[in-house]
Amino acid sequence: MNNSISLYVDKDTYLTRLHPFTKLVFILAAISIPLLWGTLWMYIVMIALSLCLLISGRIIRKAYPLIAFSFTIIIMIFLIQGLFNQENKNVLFSVGPLRFYKEGILYALKIGLNILNMLLCFAVFVLTTKPATLVESLEQRGVSPRFGYIVSSVFQIIPQMIGTMHTIQDAQASRGMETKGNLLVRAKAFIPLISPIVSSSLINTRERAIALEVRGFDSKVKKTYMEDHNLKKNDRTFMSLMTILIAISMIWRIFQWLS
Amino acid sequence: MKRIFKTKFNAACFVLIPVCIGINYVGKLFASLLKLPLWLDSIGTCIGGVLGGPVIGGICGAANNLIYGLTTGDSITLIYALTSFGIGVAVGIMARLGRMKTFPGALLTAVAAGLTAVVISTPLNIIFWGGMTGNVWGDAVFAWSQAGKLPVFFGSFLDEVIVDVPDKLITLLLVFAIVKNLPKKLTSLYDVDDEVESLD
Amino acid sequence: MAFIEVSNLKYRYPHTKTLALDGINLSIEKGEFIGIAGENKAGKSTLCQSFAGLIPTMFKGAYGGKILIGKKNAAETPIAELCQSVGLVFQNPFNQLSGAKETVFDEIAFGLQNLGVPREEMIKRVRDNLKLLDIEKYAYRNPFDLSGGQIQRVAIASILAMNPELIVLDEPTSQLDPQGSEEVFKAVEKLTKSGITIIMAEHKMEKLASYCDKILLLHKGKQIAFDTPEYIFSRDDLDSIGVLPPVYTQVCKTLSISKKSEKDKIIYPVTFQDVEKLKGFFPEHLVGRITSSEDDSIVKNPVFQIEHLSFSYNPMVSVIEDVNLTFRNEPTAIIGQNGAGKTTLVKLLKGLIKPASGSILFERNDTKNQTVAQLSAQIGYVFQNPDDQIFKNKVMDEIMVGPLNLGWSKTKAKESARDALEMVGLIDKAEQNPYDLDLSERKLIAVASVIAMNPKVLILDEPTIAQDVKGKEIIGKLITSLFARGKLIITILHDMDFAAKYFNRIIVMAHGKILADGPKEEVFYRTNTLKQAHLEQPHVTSLCRELGYEGVFLDTDDLNA
Ligand SMILES: Nc1ncnc2c1ncn2[C@@H]1O[C@H](COP(=O)(O)OP(=O)(O)OP(=O)(O)O)[C@@H](O)[C@H]1O
Ligand SMILES: Nc1ncnc2c1ncn2[C@@H]1O[C@H](COP(=O)(O)OP(=O)(O)OP(=O)(O)O)[C@@H](O)[C@H]1O
Ligand SMILES: [Mg+2]
Ligand SMILES: [Mg+2]
Repeated sequence: MNNSISLYVDKDTYLTRLHPFTKLVFILAAISIPLLWGTLWMYIVMIALSLCLLISGRIIRKAYPLIAFSFTIIIMIFLIQGLFNQENKNVLFSVGPLRFYKEGILYALKIGLNILNMLLCFAVFVLTTKPATLVESLEQRGVSPRFGYIVSSVFQIIPQMIGTMHTIQDAQASRGMETKGNLLVRAKAFIPLISPIVSSSLINTRERAIALEVRGFDSKVKKTYMEDHNLKKNDRTFMSLMTILIAISMIWRIFQWLS
Repeated sequence: MKRIFKTKFNAACFVLIPVCIGINYVGKLFASLLKLPLWLDSIGTCIGGVLGGPVIGGICGAANNLIYGLTTGDSITLIYALTSFGIGVAVGIMARLGRMKTFPGALLTAVAAGLTAVVISTPLNIIFWGGMTGNVWGDAVFAWSQAGKLPVFFGSFLDEVIVDVPDKLITLLLVFAIVKNLPKKLTSLYDVDDEVESLD
Repeated sequence: MAFIEVSNLKYRYPHTKTLALDGINLSIEKGEFIGIAGENKAGKSTLCQSFAGLIPTMFKGAYGGKILIGKKNAAETPIAELCQSVGLVFQNPFNQLSGAKETVFDEIAFGLQNLGVPREEMIKRVRDNLKLLDIEKYAYRNPFDLSGGQIQRVAIASILAMNPELIVLDEPTSQLDPQGSEEVFKAVEKLTKSGITIIMAEHKMEKLASYCDKILLLHKGKQIAFDTPEYIFSRDDLDSIGVLPPVYTQVCKTLSISKKSEKDKIIYPVTFQDVEKLKGFFPEHLVGRITSSEDDSIVKNPVFQIEHLSFSYNPMVSVIEDVNLTFRNEPTAIIGQNGAGKTTLVKLLKGLIKPASGSILFERNDTKNQTVAQLSAQIGYVFQNPDDQIFKNKVMDEIMVGPLNLGWSKTKAKESARDALEMVGLIDKAEQNPYDLDLSERKLIAVASVIAMNPKVLILDEPTIAQDVKGKEIIGKLITSLFARGKLIITILHDMDFAAKYFNRIIVMAHGKILADGPKEEVFYRTNTLKQAHLEQPHVTSLCRELGYEGVFLDTDDLNA
């Protein structure tokens, strides 16, 4: 569907074939390892690793907008911290009357790398995991199907609500409300739109609840699935690798404390 | 006390949660399309709280950020799952105390929700962002406070207050107007005390 | 004891004063096909929901009496358990979708997954039901992108796949084309052979008469009778109950041909087969419709001119293909199979979607150059699903939206809104929340909200869905009176009898093309074309043809001896 909110890219690569849990373990590793080492270069290593995965999974292009989005915020952080951080002592460089300090910039660098690292490791997961697969794997591992329903129906409901939005706009236009035109016209048309969207989607919940009940949603029987999502050999290798890396980092950290 | 947290875990509630998450999304979409200086991303969470009570409200909030974080690549929102959870619970409690029935009550609820958001978000902002919120208006205040050598904590707190309190005010007024006009057929589905009367 | 025992069932919805069901007593054997008939608000849907246990478990309210299905008490068994033996198909198919599945295939499998049906079995059952309802083509489409009738088929399939012992269907064929609904009835009847019990609420009396073993007649929540179709439809109080007997019975009543007389009762035939057996009693000649040769000298101006119109939702399949049409001021019906592109065509007329190629001229101006809002003063459109169209919290406000947008004064808008409500007979509901009203009323509200704007063209998308005799009459009168005021009325219909009664011109659509277009006296006699478009002749027409009468017969008024 074109107006889906999921960023999943339907490509058959080794990354999409990996079990969702394997990719979750990767996120865990990517976030925890730099934290354990506590050094900036570890962030850089993990960022590089995520980038490698994205490139080899042929989805790096789709990650650009995410990176671009984070950059505006990162630049703000550099500006504010570089200029006004309370620890600031040593001037690093100055642009006209503005003086950027070393301490603030270093602090901003750390936050910025942390954000970038998180974004990229999540991108690896998000771009290569079909939400339905994630939900089914979770359910097959004992997560309540109710939770599964919530997740998968969010993916259906949002495009549907946007559809409702268009339908209500159509209905309003059909009865003479101008919805096309300059920004002011559109802004004015938006206000009478939000309340009916919310009400109508809430009203639909009533019917939906009944629909689910008669389809055995509350049934205590163990659910069956179209497909089994099991860990394969690749998954095991990848997971063990990540676990070993996390373990090494932990040992290193403990070692640091002791000495 | 027990009544406040009483929750029916039936299909009606489980259907409410994704819809509320969808409403959050649409609110956010509006805010960004119209370039409003507000988030408007918790309309659904508040409705969840009002109709389903604090537990459902909290679940709506937390699930909202978890799902978006895990699927739309917006991993930053993941961190704020805690805040959303708090907002849902706060609104749920206020609604069960009967505050969402009147206009002044709705204002009070808005203040409660806004303050909850501020209290939870401020430490998160400091840990992950060095105190900023990512909202231009709030961050301008933060920059100003830092230039004035005020403590980071205080600056960040101001930053949040500037953003969250007006946002929650508008949100809850919208919610108040919407919920008041919902058809009875729907609201009776969420009445906790209702039992089947016998005609025999 | 019978399979189903209903004893003294009573029910009242929360926040209401009157009983929606009042003293229902039935016993139904395994494998029986039971119909429920009655006017709007008689309590048909309420009774259907009681069988599935939704009443009282979901709806609460006040409940009395008992429904026993097998050994299960419907009110006390959890719905999750009851749904394994009782399946319910909703009145409004848009509401039956689970909303969690991306394809029709997965949607149908949803219930089976919840019940833990093993994988091979599940896939087989889904396949079988896709085939049964003729929706294999759409198996991998998103259920929300289907046409009204296609969704209804998915809804039925999703319940049949769960293999319940009792299937309750609430007006399951309201949006289906005539052949489609016949197929559904046949499929359902076949199920009774394997011991499955069927309960069905319907407004299509001809179908109830020919398929049901027994019919329950409801009125204002009370059980009027529970008997065989013959006895039910031979009653002489049907008028006051708001039920019209099957056309076959009406014809025989007009011609005073009865099957047999018992005691003081006269029994009329109720099905086509019944009538055929009595062929000998029918008059030798009937004159049929006297077509007043209309004054063709007044050539009416074209309102819409459509030239080489094409449209598609996605580049792969075209929905409208090179259509050429001209609309003039007369009641015009568009009929055709599900998914033919009827709704799409009228949306194009209204300007809600834009042609991929070709042009639509409205009073000589290309609609491309005008926004929907600009056209709204002239062209009124009532959506297929009223819930897509209603967005205010009060009926009166809803109806005043249009007039106010046209810049009318508040008093004028209110006056016009009152007139419109008066016309659809819902003036006493002006202060209510539209969502607290029933589907049939919401449909009429949607119609009123458009009439209030006094447009030159009125487009109605399946207005008769969910309407009883009275509702259909209201709509029929509306069409006649608006035509008299010089309006063009374009209506999409699946009800051939209604089309034959109130419309002059009939357009037949199939697969995005126009198969036939002309006066009803002609089009309804092109049997091959009708068949190709999954349609049927009006009941009177096919009956008179079978009886061998020469002439044109379109409704019961045409039976002139
Ligand atoms: N959820 C509800 N809450 C309150 N009243 C209701 C509800 N649903 C139905 N009713 C009322 O119960 C009565 C019976 O309605 P029901 O829907 O069973 O009628 P019906 O015979 O199915 O009509 P239709 O032919 O229009 O489908 C009506 O007066 C209706 O207004
Ligand atoms: N929003 C949409 N996106 C994609 N395809 C669509 C959409 N709406 C309709 N279609 C498809 O276009 C075709 C024509 O649909 P349309 O709604 O015009 O049919 P219809 O003749 O009104 O049928 P019905 O009698 O069932 O209402 C169908 O095959 C349908 O599946
Ligand atoms: Mg009904
Ligand atoms: Mg249609």
